[in-house]
Amino acid sequence: MSELTVTESRAEEGTAVSEAAAPERRSVRRRSGLPRAVFLGLVAIFMLTPLYVLVVNAFKPQEEILANPFGLPVGALTTRYLSHALHNPQFNIVRGYAVTILFVVAVNVLSVALAGPVAYVIARSSRRRYRLLLLTFLAGTFIPGQVLVIPVVYVLKTLGLMGTIRGFVLFETALTLPFSVFLYAGYIGTIPPTLDQAAAVDGAGRLRTFWKIIFPLMRPVVATMVILNTFSVWNDFVNPQIILGPGSGLYTVTTGVYAAVSQYSTDYSVVFPTLLLAIAPLLVFFVVMQRHIISGLTAGATKG
Amino acid sequence: MNFVKRTKRAGDGAATLLMVVPATVVFVVMLVVPVGLAFYLSLTDWDGYSAQPKIIGGSNYTHLFSDPVMRHAAFVTLLVAVAGTAGMNLLGLGFALLVNGTSRINRFLRVVLFYPHVLSALVVGFLWSAILGTTGAVNSLLTAHGGSVLPFLSDPTWALITMIAVLVWAGFGVNVVLYLAGLQAVPRSLVEAARIDGATRWQVFRHVTLPALGPVVTVNIVLSLVTLLKTYDLVVSLTAGGPAGQTQTVAYLILWNSFHDNRLGFGSAQSVVLMIVTGILALVVTRMRRRGEMAVYS
Repeated sequence: MSELTVTESRAEEGTAVSEAAAPERRSVRRRSGLPRAVFLGLVAIFMLTPLYVLVVNAFKPQEEILANPFGLPVGALTTRYLSHALHNPQFNIVRGYAVTILFVVAVNVLSVALAGPVAYVIARSSRRRYRLLLLTFLAGTFIPGQVLVIPVVYVLKTLGLMGTIRGFVLFETALTLPFSVFLYAGYIGTIPPTLDQAAAVDGAGRLRTFWKIIFPLMRPVVATMVILNTFSVWNDFVNPQIILGPGSGLYTVTTGVYAAVSQYSTDYSVVFPTLLLAIAPLLVFFVVMQRHIISGLTAGATKG
Repeated sequence: MNFVKRTKRAGDGAATLLMVVPATVVFVVMLVVPVGLAFYLSLTDWDGYSAQPKIIGGSNYTHLFSDPVMRHAAFVTLLVAVAGTAGMNLLGLGFALLVNGTSRINRFLRVVLFYPHVLSALVVGFLWSAILGTTGAVNSLLTAHGGSVLPFLSDPTWALITMIAVLVWAGFGVNVVLYLAGLQAVPRSLVEAARIDGATRWQVFRHVTLPALGPVVTVNIVLSLVTLLKTYDLVVSLTAGGPAGQTQTVAYLILWNSFHDNRLGFGSAQSVVLMIVTGILALVVTRMRRRGEMAVYS
């Protein structure tokens, strides 16, 4: 609690100058008294407790977890169970990381390579057929993923891609296309077309103009999509579970956690270390880039 | 000159095709065709293996509406969606008002409220079941201090409430961020004018801030509803549908019927119904909200 008060007072120091400048800030400040600080502090503790339990218990043996789940016995902490989880025969988590990162990279690269050019053509053309195409992609953002799993299995089986990495990556990429095209086309619309004309005068074709001139300017919006796609591929459970199937031996981090944890759900010396290993990379990524990630994921949430 | 120009344009046409066709093909084959197929498969007895599923007409649908398991799942899903939407939006708006501002503590709190959304629902469910399960952290603590075990996940009613609470815990951070964005767009001058006219804080909120937030509220409600209606991962990891199938949602049944019982035709019918109900609910909420917004302004 004392740590919180320190941060609070430091935060107030930081805003002292602007408060003097803006009188309405004072009313805000009056409200932010002790009760508010205490309440928000309690809420923060409630939100963070599960994470604390997860991290602390990943370093404790089963008896210690059962006897004192919230305790932090500094002397008794051990990385033994973490390393057990790393070498779990049920689920090789290092391989899970590799597979997941492969999927994340493949989906992101393919998604940008497909959605970028088509968004460029749509944004730079006033033709009716391209406006219709944009509307079709837009309608795609309303398709609920749950409805798709069953018929996609049918499509992938027909194409001979069921249970393959190619089929999975193709489907995950397709899921990213509607929103990507929509975002990219909107963004390209704000880039002056005079840039394209200058490139055309210099003899560059359309493809070259897009990749060399326009694409480098799209960095912010591509970053948003990459964040969004990375989290949705990493956290996806249904699609890899069904399309890759347990029989293929290909586990992403998320389907691997399911395979490793559901069988031992009361052996907490397996549960906590496995869960910690599954979320650690994402949490680090989140803490480092939180502002971009919050705005990126929120943009993705509103796509409906 | 004319010739050069024409080949250049033809080359451009080819380039344009190259830019448009691949994305369109992937989109159509993987998203548009499956939506149509979902309707077709819902009229068949497809088991996931046969290449030529037999068409059995509407019997999947009649079966579905008379199935008591399905009815209970529909009830659970609606309850989760409505209660969860209420919780997420009350907390979302409330905390948006509390952490509005750029001080360091506000920024820290926003991160703390948002972080569960970064974790997969599967991990969130396993984590909370390790905390609230019969031998979980909370119950270990209770029994160690002479208390008795609380049935967070082992009693049907408790399990439902726990599930809704965990869904809200994991999801309302998004609502906070969306409401915060909405609050930035509320005209400062309106709020100040009301304050100068002697309005209390509550009056300002009720008659200035809330009406100005109208569209944002609609977006948030629809978003929460649509997300919660397809709750699946968390059911798998938190309760596995139990105890005794009492927390099975529609999405859980769809995947269970399809991939555990190999009744993908039946599952398709369920998912078609879920899609239509979701669409109707989203539309109804948007309509109702629009009428409400008009009433406020008229």
